Amino acid sequence: MIEFHEFLVAILRSGTPLIYAALAGVIVHRSGVWHLGLEGIMIIGACVTIIGIVLTNSFIVAILSAIIICIIVSILQWFVIEKLKANQIIVGLGITGIGIGGTAFAVESIFGSLAAISAPFGIPRVGDTFGPYSGLSILVFIMPFAVLSLWVLLLRSRFGLRLAAAGEHPFAARSVGANPSIMRLIAFCVGGLFCALAGAELAAGSLQIFAQNMVAGRGFMGFAAVIFGGGHPVGSAFAAMFFSIVSVVGIRMQIHLGNFVSHDLLLCLPYIVTVLGIWIAARAKGRTNSASQPSELRDQ
Amino acid sequence: MLYNRNSDFKIVTEEHKDIPAISCRDVSVSFGAVSALSDISIDLPLGVIHAVVGQNGAGKTTFARVIAGIVKPDSGSLLINGKKIVLGSVASSRSTGIELVHQSFALPPSFTVAEALEYGSGGGIGLFKKRDLNNRWRRHLEALEMDIDPRHLIQDLPIELQQAVEIARALFSNANILILDEPTAVLSPSGIAGLFKRLRRLRDTGVTIILVLHKIREIWEIADTITVLRKGKLIDGPMELGWTKPESLAPMIMGAKSLKENISRKSDENSENKVLDQKAISTLLKSKKHALEIEGVSTETTDHEVSLENMSIKVYQDEIVGIAGVEGNGQVTLLRVLAGLSDISKGKIKICGQEVTHFNLSKRRLLGLRIIPFDRNMEGLSLTSELWENWVASELAVTPLIRWINPMKIKERCKISMSEWDVAYNSPEQKASDLSGGNCQKLILSRELNDEAGMVVAAQPTRGLDIGATNFVWTTLERARSRGCGVLLISSDLDELFKISDRILVMLSGSIIRELNPPYDLEKAGRAMVGESG
Repeated sequence: MIEFHEFLVAILRSGTPLIYAALAGVIVHRSGVWHLGLEGIMIIGACVTIIGIVLTNSFIVAILSAIIICIIVSILQWFVIEKLKANQIIVGLGITGIGIGGTAFAVESIFGSLAAISAPFGIPRVGDTFGPYSGLSILVFIMPFAVLSLWVLLLRSRFGLRLAAAGEHPFAARSVGANPSIMRLIAFCVGGLFCALAGAELAAGSLQIFAQNMVAGRGFMGFAAVIFGGGHPVGSAFAAMFFSIVSVVGIRMQIHLGNFVSHDLLLCLPYIVTVLGIWIAARAKGRTNSASQPSELRDQ
Repeated sequence: MLYNRNSDFKIVTEEHKDIPAISCRDVSVSFGAVSALSDISIDLPLGVIHAVVGQNGAGKTTFARVIAGIVKPDSGSLLINGKKIVLGSVASSRSTGIELVHQSFALPPSFTVAEALEYGSGGGIGLFKKRDLNNRWRRHLEALEMDIDPRHLIQDLPIELQQAVEIARALFSNANILILDEPTAVLSPSGIAGLFKRLRRLRDTGVTIILVLHKIREIWEIADTITVLRKGKLIDGPMELGWTKPESLAPMIMGAKSLKENISRKSDENSENKVLDQKAISTLLKSKKHALEIEGVSTETTDHEVSLENMSIKVYQDEIVGIAGVEGNGQVTLLRVLAGLSDISKGKIKICGQEVTHFNLSKRRLLGLRIIPFDRNMEGLSLTSELWENWVASELAVTPLIRWINPMKIKERCKISMSEWDVAYNSPEQKASDLSGGNCQKLILSRELNDEAGMVVAAQPTRGLDIGATNFVWTTLERARSRGCGVLLISSDLDELFKISDRILVMLSGSIIRELNPPYDLEKAGRAMVGESG
């Protein structure tokens, strides 16, 4: 039984950042953009949270500054895609590059070295009332509510329908008076919020440490979960959860099978499953219901 | 809201009897260097059906979009029911009760009917429960006597019902001015009759309706007034129907130059008739050859397409064979089979006597097969490519992959060909998306109907084209015939089929069910198309 609780705790720990990243990807995806900047914005969230805690000694200030900075970077991504008409894939990858390089630069200019920084404390824990789960952060417990509220917002509200229309058929959205560009801006802002939470949970949820490139592809796995889940908030959250189960199983297998199977192969397991998952999703659905490019209003 | 609209409306009509529903003052619009509308000033009276007519590129759609607030004019002003409105704002146009039903319907395909109706019905967050949403919109659709299940996906609806959903959406917001942009282009004859009935009923409740149309017969059937646009200028209007005649309308729409072309087309027809007479004599002497033979072709059943069942069609080298049928009876599959894009499970296809059943399209092209596809913007042209690239594409498709090409020379040839085919263009380097529908089709014709063409398959070649361009396409097909080309004309427009086909095959559920010969009988053809005998 204790074994099972430990397993569940491990899944929730590794899964929560992935789910937040997937939620960010989902809302942006439905507005018509492939959010390939998840990785970069997530690492910025992680970095700002840890630096904030170290410098101000206040968790609230740290998480708020992470949210604000992530939203600003998301707006930057929106601006380049929407207003400067750059290719969204390239911009997304560029934002990822800025995130990874920029956090390294920030750490070195503040602390003088590129070594990992550890914070004195992290995100508040839920406390002893939760028994074996007492070590989890409050963000883990907020996560199901975040998934649910995003589901209501995107699939059970007129706003969500307008957002989806802006992604799928921008001209239709425009002809009922909704501005697709503003819809995408809102999507990117909400996405920035979720990316900040994803980064904060990853860096300060259990470890309280920030290391170079610590996101290590989790943003891209979050994006994969969006595709796997067909752009549906709950489906994508389950897809992210599935990826994290695979990665926890991979770690367990290292302990038990480490002598028989290559250690590196087990470490790749989540990534292999991600690729397989995308492949299956593509076969099963044929296509996702979102535009791959923000289309333009064509006259005549 | 909708349900007490009638009573509300009477009051409005009484109060503003003399104020026009829409009045435009010196409205001008240009896209880049092209002027789409210049100095349009017009008053459209309340509570009647107005037809706005003109050729492709005359500015009809732009005019409709200016009123709906989608396009912002460069200058001018717009008064709705006597009040000035903010230009270029959909929200402000909609708040005065203007709704636009688009030419190609603007509904997100993956939405359900209820969702598509809901998303444009107001601002704010607007939370809902799925069941409430469906019930609410089911009531709205029932009130409009539309038999549509709100749970269906838009992409699964036939095109008539998609249009009905758009109209339902437009009417929900208490529209008192309804604009429909080319609403009949995609409808079958019975769909058009249904639409017109619905529009008349709406007019009787006090709604002002503006219809962008270009078929003269339809205008006479439905409109109360006519407004003619040509090259972005207002020629005349709104004229009441009693004051004008169909014969005087054509010259106004087309202008003097085009009219001359029309006359020369008529003389062409006469000379062709002579040629045909000679041909008739010569065919008595020697047996004719087949340009296309389809023998007992069947295809596998799939989800997306209607399958063909034991279909046989023969087209001689000098005849136009029409394929009539309500859309969605396997016409798309037939075209795909001819293009070698769909596999056939049994049967044979021959082009000019040579069996091509297992040939790909480029091999079939070498034998003279030419295809004018259903959707010229998606299948016929690459809209983001330049004109000369589009023009030379088919030629390059049959040459080896690695070969030196000389763009300068190609552009020169393209220019000559485009002026021969009367394509209105600025330079061969402009994007195909800049051309209007008629010019797009002319570009495709200039590419496909070269000397090597031996068998032309034309799918809805005049859909959405104006009178001038339609005549051009017909003449082209007739010329191809007199040169010894076989022509297979797939169309759902019976007028078109009657006009140029030598015989008509009626297609229903993937089979040919009847052959009609001239003189054609509209009623008989109509009955055959829906599968009734007699």
